[in-house]
Amino acid sequence: MIKDLSVMIAGKAGDGVLFTGNVLARLLKRHGWEVVTGRDFPSNIRGEPTRTTIRASLNENYGPGDLVNILLAFDCEAILDNLPLMAAGGTVLCDGEVVVTPPRDQAEGKTFHKFPLRAMAREKFGHEIFKNMIALGALTFLLDLETTLFEEIITEMFLRRKGEEVEKKNIQAAAYGYEKAREITLARERLPLARKEDGERLLLSGDEAIAFGALAAGCRFFAAYPICPASEISHWLARHMPQFNGVVIQTEDELAALNMALGAAYAGARAMTATSGPGASLMMEAFSLAGMAEIPIVIAHIQRLGPATGIPTKTQQGDILQWVFGSHGEFARIILAPGTLSECFELTTEAFNLAEKYQCPVVLLTELDMGQDYRTAPRFDLSRVRIDRGKLLTQEQLLGIQDFKRYEFTFDGISPRALPSSRKGLHMVESLEHDESGYRDESESNRMRMMEKRMKKLKKASKDLPRARVWESRKAGAGLITTGSTLGPVLEAAAELRKKHVQAKCLQLRTLWPFPVHAVKRFLDECDRVFVIENNCSAELATLIRSQVIPLPEMVSILRCGTRSFRPREVVEQVEKAVR
Amino acid sequence: MKKKQTYHRAHPTWCPGCGLFGVFDALKRAAANMGLAPEDVVVVTGIGCHGRMNNYFYSYGFHGLHGRAMPVATGIKLVNPKLTVIGVSGDGDAYSIGLGHFLHAVRRNVDITYIVVNNRLYSLTQGQMSPTTMFGMVTISTPFGSKDFPIEGPVLALAARGTFVARGFSAEAGHLAFLIEKGMRHKGFAFIDVLSPCVTYNKLNTFEWYKKNTFMIEKEPDYSPGDKSKAWEILNRDDRIAVGLLYEEEKPSYEELILPDTDQPIAFVDLSVRRKELEIIMENFR
Repeated sequence: MIKDLSVMIAGKAGDGVLFTGNVLARLLKRHGWEVVTGRDFPSNIRGEPTRTTIRASLNENYGPGDLVNILLAFDCEAILDNLPLMAAGGTVLCDGEVVVTPPRDQAEGKTFHKFPLRAMAREKFGHEIFKNMIALGALTFLLDLETTLFEEIITEMFLRRKGEEVEKKNIQAAAYGYEKAREITLARERLPLARKEDGERLLLSGDEAIAFGALAAGCRFFAAYPICPASEISHWLARHMPQFNGVVIQTEDELAALNMALGAAYAGARAMTATSGPGASLMMEAFSLAGMAEIPIVIAHIQRLGPATGIPTKTQQGDILQWVFGSHGEFARIILAPGTLSECFELTTEAFNLAEKYQCPVVLLTELDMGQDYRTAPRFDLSRVRIDRGKLLTQEQLLGIQDFKRYEFTFDGISPRALPSSRKGLHMVESLEHDESGYRDESESNRMRMMEKRMKKLKKASKDLPRARVWESRKAGAGLITTGSTLGPVLEAAAELRKKHVQAKCLQLRTLWPFPVHAVKRFLDECDRVFVIENNCSAELATLIRSQVIPLPEMVSILRCGTRSFRPREVVEQVEKAVR
Repeated sequence: MKKKQTYHRAHPTWCPGCGLFGVFDALKRAAANMGLAPEDVVVVTGIGCHGRMNNYFYSYGFHGLHGRAMPVATGIKLVNPKLTVIGVSGDGDAYSIGLGHFLHAVRRNVDITYIVVNNRLYSLTQGQMSPTTMFGMVTISTPFGSKDFPIEGPVLALAARGTFVARGFSAEAGHLAFLIEKGMRHKGFAFIDVLSPCVTYNKLNTFEWYKKNTFMIEKEPDYSPGDKSKAWEILNRDDRIAVGLLYEEEKPSYEELILPDTDQPIAFVDLSVRRKELEIIMENFR
């Protein structure tokens, strides 16, 4: 029985590659498999090559793997680029007019089938659109999946929204693809998968997990400007916010998005925005305002490949230092980095508490491949979501206070907060340096005290911040430090290294700022050689570590500058080379 | 009715004779006429001489970033529609760095009153040219005369389908108070461009200059603010500048359209985790 495999769907943008992949992912999930999708598409709507890879494992599944077992292509040309990724014994199904002859060395050991998806769809079902269902039917056969489970998914997708006729036709197309695959493939090509209980698990994207987390955490105001790959957060919330008496605003730009969210937060909402790339740069201005005015705000940044417009549909971790050190002036900020789907949810719910407790901006920093790809995860535990609004005063509390001061000097630097319309809470929010009541005060003595007050807020925050996570407890020859979605390939690489008798352990930084100095120091002490693995060109995470940890042992950076995240093998090879 | 002293926090330190004194006075009068509790008012300002308004006008105040008063004010209004939200900006704030926000606030028709104190210069920073500086004017940043053609806020607001477009004159505080009050009573976005001389840097557009070059449209025999073509016509006049309520129409306000429930301000919604509903939504991820 097979316990781990990858299926790639390839074609041109507009072929329904993503749709096909996502349905397959759901189908595999219903069979109890852990699933991760890896979409790879251009930033246009139609015409350019696009592909998605569905990795399914019976046990833990960290992310896209090294090789592909089945390749289904909507046009045969698409297979040429992807053949080098094919595992030995792999199967290729492809459609298309063009005759393609793969190079002999790459074709060896693989089985090729011409599979006229479009023609079959047209002839049998009257429209090319059914090619995707036929393809999925074929894959259902090849993977020996339950047709009843597939039909269940088709019904969920079509019955309510498109009606019985469309649903039926799709089921027929799937059955047709199933039979056709049976006719043309050989018995040895079939990869029967082991089964497990699906249980209560979920399948969703990181963007959806963040959006759901925001809703659960009481976010009731979301303002954003459309940008890839963060828009899905906005889209999801736009559908669900009204039920919770909340609102989603599409603003004119990202300057407005963050300023509007700040206005909303000041007036009392749990407010949020989300962005990426250039949008984050535009938000830098108001990021500083949030720091100065001490307004609780959550900013989700789904990193894409820069600089400038870069490659909007590709992943990267090139914006870490921008948030840690960015914007004008110095102010308290918290930067969180979820590394798993569950953490996208959990860290989002925590972000709102941290923002209100410490009255500062909180950034959720993740990446395109976490934000847009689909993953399985255990059901989110809503019983663990708590709401802590920090020093926000109720009207009753305010009435009991003499002389309320919004920016009062307190022992922990955190001042009481009152919402506009409150009696006895009247104050000023000032982007200029200000006194305890919020009114402009540019004196040296006030400036020094105010700066100290704002900067000390996070001095004792570490107890509330998501801790760095250590994977494997023993002392190790190779210590792998990483953050964000790079965690997946790093964990898989560590497991692979252990198989090769290199003792490897991992440190996942879930809070990037305030920097978890002690956790990193402890980890460094426990490892002979240290590697920092991150998906960028200039070693931003390593630079951050170097700026905070003294003395520092030698660290080797493993970097990736390209258009996708690491494959586990790439990490393994570099660590092995350095250790041996 | 309240006394206008209710809103007087401190005496302003603007240059003696500055047009902003008239705006300050008019704002207090309008708030008094409306009988607003200072706690129910938020004044959002941008950066410029006008930005000191929060120091003098007694209410909740938000002195944000240059040009960003409108998004902040919009966020506040949407979260608590029961507040009276007033934006105060300068011509640099509203028509230059914040022009995009201005036009989008107009077209959204959020229920905000936006007073743009237009002195045709960046006076806080020594008098550089602004988007409303007259063509050819010599300023510290245009020693050979401005080569940029000026724009007019009311023209832009009307083009952006503004539902309340007015122009006031800071020397006529009574009339301006009337416009601001009318703006606050208007359902939706009320925009008032205020001709406001800078006595320190603008030696061209002085009080006398405005007195000579403006006229009150309320005194025009057949002017009606409900007639858009008349509004266009009067804004296109080259000889003199129209002061008064130029245009007004009824339209649903943004918050009426976009908020699920205007009677339940988001600001005070109970945030306890609604597990039952969330569990049902989570089923979509199965």
